[in-house]
Amino acid sequence: MTEFKMFEGCTIGNRIPFIEAASRKVFDKVGIETSQAPFSCCPDPTGMKSFDNEAWLAIGARNLCLAEAEGKDIISLCNGCANTLRGVQHQLKHDSLKKNRINKELAKIGKEFKGSIDVKHFVDVLKDNLDKVKASVTKPLSGLKVAVHPGCHYMRPGEWMESDDVMRPKNLKEIVAATGATVVSYDEEVLCCGSAVTNAYEEHGMANLKIKMDSIAKVGADVLVVNCPACFQQFDTRQRDLSKKYEKDYEIPVLYITELLALAMGTSADEIGLKFHRTRMKKEL
Amino acid sequence: MMVDFEFRKEVMDKHVSSDLIKYCYQCSRCTDNCPVSAVSKDFYTTTGYDPRANILAALLGYKDVIFSQDPLAIWGCTVCDTCDEVCPQHIELTEIFTFLKNKSAEQGNAPEFIYSQAKAIFESSKAIPSQPAIERRRQQLGLPAVAEPNVGELQTLMKNIGAEKKLK
Repeated sequence: MTEFKMFEGCTIGNRIPFIEAASRKVFDKVGIETSQAPFSCCPDPTGMKSFDNEAWLAIGARNLCLAEAEGKDIISLCNGCANTLRGVQHQLKHDSLKKNRINKELAKIGKEFKGSIDVKHFVDVLKDNLDKVKASVTKPLSGLKVAVHPGCHYMRPGEWMESDDVMRPKNLKEIVAATGATVVSYDEEVLCCGSAVTNAYEEHGMANLKIKMDSIAKVGADVLVVNCPACFQQFDTRQRDLSKKYEKDYEIPVLYITELLALAMGTSADEIGLKFHRTRMKKEL
Repeated sequence: MMVDFEFRKEVMDKHVSSDLIKYCYQCSRCTDNCPVSAVSKDFYTTTGYDPRANILAALLGYKDVIFSQDPLAIWGCTVCDTCDEVCPQHIELTEIFTFLKNKSAEQGNAPEFIYSQAKAIFESSKAIPSQPAIERRRQQLGLPAVAEPNVGELQTLMKNIGAEKKLK
């Protein structure tokens, strides 16, 4: 398999690196090779893009240039980073005025955006290698009931994410099923985690999170599996606040899909730092 | 209510692929499917977050109406891109809302986390700067150190584009 440039992103790299540890373990087992590059923030499609779209385009294009220089595709561990890098690429490829404007800025730091590489979300790479994922499972998670939350930016906007059905995503479910666990569906599967709005208007963010968690609790899921660090943090850290605010015990453990896979592939909870989660695992997986 | 034609032209130009926004017929599928409208707005009130109203005001060039409201009218958007997908006219609403947010940020009315993140990126090239405790944890987990980005290059880009001036 060809080597990818690893784009772990700010949140995973500099705040919750245990997710990177689990992801690297899974990539090793499946045979996905990666190498590093001095990438900056992607930058955040809910933060920097809202602050200044032009800066978002230029900084994103600069990251793409670093991978282009090595002729390698990017593998992103995060919905936000994948969304930004694919979005910048899409916008610059479909708007020559924008591309010229950004390339004029990039020329001042000795770079030029060409659009010669591809950006992959890691879930899509795992999905493409589902046979190898299945073959690497040594401890099937039979009996575990899993609810999934692929997160908005994994599949929307469909025009540039091109990953899954935009309102009925199924890729994450297929990967979970490969571990032998049982996928349980719930009503609010495509509802946003509300991370961005919670940062600005906590009251509305928490009301949204309640709708989401109530729907997950209703189907009796043992764990919630995600593939985005922003969603992970929203569910893992704010669940406790939610329990306090509404005087209801939620406590549904949240796992990154690569953590679930690493466990099913025989990695120990210690090796991938599961103890760093805020919401404790109810039972040993 | 004044129509600002220059602002209206800018709104029209924001679309990546075309000027589809002019075909909005106010069906309200965006607001009906918006998770923030669902928790902040009652059907018969005009308060709360309402993407349909934003598109109408932007399309008509009512700049003063948009920017004189409670910032929730702009910053309530959680960037889930649901409205883009359910719009029968394929209007890229999130691109229009990005434009409104950019203007609001320039006026100094964005939520605090928007400025603090942009500042962190300007100063360290990362939205979340590296810190010794996490660097140690990376080592314990057997991870390589994060590759150091070129801070000077990002600062040059942000200065030349004019983003640095919007920082607080």
